[in-house]
Amino acid sequence: MLWYKSWLETRWRFLIGFALLLCSAAGSVLVYPQIARLTASVPVNAPGILGEKIREAMELARSYRGYVWSHWFGQNLTQMGTLFAILLGTASLLSESSGALFTLSLPVPRRRLLHVRAAAGLAELFAIVFVPSLLVALLAPAIGEHYGIGAVLIHAFCFFVGAALFFTLSLLLSTIFGDPWRPVMIAVGIAIALAIVDQLSHVSMFGVFRVMSGERWFREARMPWAGLIAIAAATATIYYGALRNLARRDF
Amino acid sequence: MIETTGLRKTYADGAEALRGLDLNVPTGSICGFLGRNGAGKTTTIKILLGMSRPTSGEARVLGLDATSPDASVEIRRRSGFVSEEKDLYGYMTVVEMVRFTAAFFPRWRRDLEERYLRRFELPPLRKVSALSKGMRTKLALLLALCRGAELLILDEPTSGLDPTIAEEVLQAIVSHVANEELTVFFSSHQIAEVEQITDRIVIIDRGRAVVSGALDDLRESYRRIQLVFDGDAPKAVFTAPGVARVERKGRVLSVLSSANAEAIVAEARRLDPVSVDVAPVSLKEIFLDTVHTEGD
Repeated sequence: MLWYKSWLETRWRFLIGFALLLCSAAGSVLVYPQIARLTASVPVNAPGILGEKIREAMELARSYRGYVWSHWFGQNLTQMGTLFAILLGTASLLSESSGALFTLSLPVPRRRLLHVRAAAGLAELFAIVFVPSLLVALLAPAIGEHYGIGAVLIHAFCFFVGAALFFTLSLLLSTIFGDPWRPVMIAVGIAIALAIVDQLSHVSMFGVFRVMSGERWFREARMPWAGLIAIAAATATIYYGALRNLARRDF
Repeated sequence: MIETTGLRKTYADGAEALRGLDLNVPTGSICGFLGRNGAGKTTTIKILLGMSRPTSGEARVLGLDATSPDASVEIRRRSGFVSEEKDLYGYMTVVEMVRFTAAFFPRWRRDLEERYLRRFELPPLRKVSALSKGMRTKLALLLALCRGAELLILDEPTSGLDPTIAEEVLQAIVSHVANEELTVFFSSHQIAEVEQITDRIVIIDRGRAVVSGALDDLRESYRRIQLVFDGDAPKAVFTAPGVARVERKGRVLSVLSSANAEAIVAEARRLDPVSVDVAPVSLKEIFLDTVHTEGD
């Protein structure tokens, strides 16, 4: 029944995120023919870093594979998926208005409350990441393109591992704060800071968002194992912190 | 059934909620836990149910250590609880709330569930968030009563209710206890309702139990001894044990005794009063006098 409770608590966040990402995935595929025509005909003469970025994006968009990686995995999924990972991780574990005392009066260890909440949230996050990403591959024939399911699964896996970090961070913050807003604001702030660090570090292939987008797989056909393992270790540490915090918490 | 020894709780901000609480609630009793707001009632209950940890001291419920996380799961399996806020899940309907709770209690009483759903006239398909406070209290009570619990812990169950609903809730508790074998630990600052349903009293003030015992024994042992003098009442110091409070007001010297009234009266007569009157004391007077004394 704790699963059912978790579902009821997060279903709207999940359904809205799922619907938005499905629309975004479908839209990304269906507008590709226009984008491909545009990139072929418009020269970019903008100077500096911005011009370089635009030229790189347009270069990538010349192939469907490059477009999917830069536009879907590198932008839409990264931004929206990270936001919904944070929102799904925000659990009202301490708020009396959300029935915390009633939950704590049930014969359930606190660690199980967190395990179920985390597992339910990660299952929803899995669906939010994988289903729209698969749609990108499945809709490709409709515009005369092809994108391998295997590549989708690899990129989605990389993203899921990274998104789980933000989900767990939000879960940890929910064991500290009683309201749902501070965990969201702090986690979003940390995500933005990490994104800025990613942009600044030109040499590192191990920035969180670079690992999440599967850049190494895209450019070198190699899995970013070191980055994935580092992120997974950080996620496990944060989750352990959340467990410890919830266990010692006074209500 | 409930036993605490030297229970202390100091919060991170330095506030001392409990300062060595000694509590003993025997099996089968209906124990009223009286105290002013902020006296430490809710903190005690949270410790008994494993929601909060004491700074020091011992707490045992149903023979189990309430401070052990594993034992507290077993305590909660065998206890029913209604919190002061009646904080249930607003997004569930009444029937979902009942099904959800029932799943955690192997001894869930379906017969009582049906009876209380009818008696409380709870709309099964209405969202909990749309229930009135009275309805929410009744639902919280149903969820506690149907657990097949050996111990019922109620934290200010009638707080914020109008008198009609409060009476209905109290009657439901009384009739439930009459039919089922269980111990009730009932916190309140409403003296009249505690007097109505309990057979045992603990009065807590500033984190310590200041009065504890069977209600009948307290009524029997507490006396108000009123001495009237010709002139101003003298400043008297009583040596007999059992003097809870002495108050001078003009010609009247009022002594509250918690025991040993005869010896105190004998000592009082030596002060040469015009009259000596010994009267029984209501629970309200005991409460106000003991809390007042401790608070001074």
